[in-house]
Amino acid sequence: MCRGSYVMKHFGFGLFAATLLVAVPAQAQFFFEMGAEKSATKDGFVLPDDRAARVIVFRPDVNVGEQTTGGLNEPNADWTKEARTALNAALENELKSRSGEMKLMPDLAGEEAVLIDEYTRLFKAVANAAISHKLFSGDRLPTKKDAFDWTMGPGAAKLGDLGGGDYGLFFYTYDSYGSVGRKAVQAVGLLIGVGVSSGVHIGYAGLVDLKTGELVWINADVKMGGDVRDSEGAEKRISQLLEDFPSSGGRGKKVGAK
Amino acid sequence: MTAIVAQPLQAESNRKIEESKQRMKDSAFDYQPIDDDERGLWLQMDEEERSIKLSKFLVKDPALNEYVRKVLCKTVGELNCQATRIYIMRTPHFNASMAPNGMMIVWTGLLLRSRNEAELASVLGHEFSHFENLHSIQSFRDIRAKTDAMAWISVIAGSAGSLASLGLLGLVFDFSRDMEREADILALDHLVDGGYDPMASSAIWEQLRAEMDATAAERKVRSRKDKNDGFFSTHPNTGDRMEYLRDAASKKDREGKSLGADEYRAALLSWWPRLIDDQIKLNDFGATEFLLGKLADDGWTPELLYARGELYRARGKDDDFQKAVEFYRQSIASGAQFSENWRGLGLSLLRSGVKEEGQAALRDYVTRQPDAPDKAIISMMAGGN
Repeated sequence: MCRGSYVMKHFGFGLFAATLLVAVPAQAQFFFEMGAEKSATKDGFVLPDDRAARVIVFRPDVNVGEQTTGGLNEPNADWTKEARTALNAALENELKSRSGEMKLMPDLAGEEAVLIDEYTRLFKAVANAAISHKLFSGDRLPTKKDAFDWTMGPGAAKLGDLGGGDYGLFFYTYDSYGSVGRKAVQAVGLLIGVGVSSGVHIGYAGLVDLKTGELVWINADVKMGGDVRDSEGAEKRISQLLEDFPSSGGRGKKVGAK
Repeated sequence: MTAIVAQPLQAESNRKIEESKQRMKDSAFDYQPIDDDERGLWLQMDEEERSIKLSKFLVKDPALNEYVRKVLCKTVGELNCQATRIYIMRTPHFNASMAPNGMMIVWTGLLLRSRNEAELASVLGHEFSHFENLHSIQSFRDIRAKTDAMAWISVIAGSAGSLASLGLLGLVFDFSRDMEREADILALDHLVDGGYDPMASSAIWEQLRAEMDATAAERKVRSRKDKNDGFFSTHPNTGDRMEYLRDAASKKDREGKSLGADEYRAALLSWWPRLIDDQIKLNDFGATEFLLGKLADDGWTPELLYARGELYRARGKDDDFQKAVEFYRQSIASGAQFSENWRGLGLSLLRSGVKEEGQAALRDYVTRQPDAPDKAIISMMAGGN
């Protein structure tokens, strides 16, 4: 939240008011979705079976906050930092068990940092397109019904060079834990017969083949489990995010309990 | 119901803010957020700042950045300005903003429209006032408290409570406007302390409103200067701002205060061509003509004449090309050496049907700037290789 611009020449400013009343990010409209979790894989895509897939993990977009009584999200610095650490650790373990070699994209500077930032934003746009127009109903595009062919373009190969990997993994989690006040409103609402939601836990993960820039897999969930603030919950969350992660050719999917 | 609960909470909230304001006054640079909600906001803005640093719209020119920083420091004091990180973004619109973590963003459209150092200082001071008075966290807490109440009302009172809810929402915008007013007024003291004429803060609104009139006149529509978002307005009406600032400024000690017009012009000199180019590309003939006219108050410099040529050539209606030819010629005659003059002259002559002379001017351009990015196409139009 940026306090004070000198003059707010905003068109469509009524949206600001709307955001006060429904203060959750756009993805949360999938709240009322029957299926809370959906994923898609590019036709026939499998990870290589002769070697560990080198997966570069881009700086995760992690937001953890508290949902106020009125539905606003109040970002929490400690929770976000804890979650970031826990999720990274859980991710490393999870990928190892799936014969993947995880590398975090290093924090670069200058032109390279600009490039990474650009592609991270591009990924966000592509992922949101796939989520809105294919995964969940409501805005599905007829041309995407049988196709799963989003791409970030061949320029993404540069990222592979920078990070030393073949695949790029991006993930996004957003948690707004219902406050005591929010739960109270929910309880009273229940008595009266008014439905009030509490807590928002959404996330998605996507895998990009960096050589071609193609989005080869995406998984989105609008009702995620696991408390990301501790290591056990983070493991559960990563496990959910990587559900239906592409298997390596020839080998079966990961065996074992989630 | 909410009033009864709100009283002690409001008192506690006020105490916390006064405490924070005191810490900010002691040292803005050392100020760190303590409360969870404030730390959360800072974290979010830190994330935002990471992206801003990498933005392709960021203006990295060290001299310009140094100058804007100098003006801020003069206005709010050396110690205070160390708490701020200024980011100049290249966009031809009039605005500046301040984040609670000390990040200040200034748009280049503001730099084009400020006519002197005092006017720039009034905007920078206003933004800094938001920061030192902790407006962001106050705003967040205000919105939180009111939406909390709105949630209860909507659940308990149902549709009957919607008017009350709406009333509360209105108060949110009221509060926002109050804070903007507060920042406006508090900035005046900063201006005076910095040696600037506080009247500049009102003058900048007068100019903006006149500019909006100019836009409307050329388009033959009604001026939008008083158009705001009504119920949802986060800022007071610009006409009101102009007046209460004029009123408040007149009561301040204006003796010996300066506007810093010469210093400002000198500092922005190398940037005028780029800023004007951006402005012309907005396709707002009225506003651009108005701004150029204002800048030319002390005479039409070669740069301004060139800009006027570009403006008319861009619009290209009726006899605009002939007028553009005149402006380019005047610019060249008054000693301008930059090659773009010949490009503009050549293109305008060609569009006026004067082929030979036009092509000659284009060839002149290519000769003067052999590494021009548009060399290939201009050479082709010049009828050559």
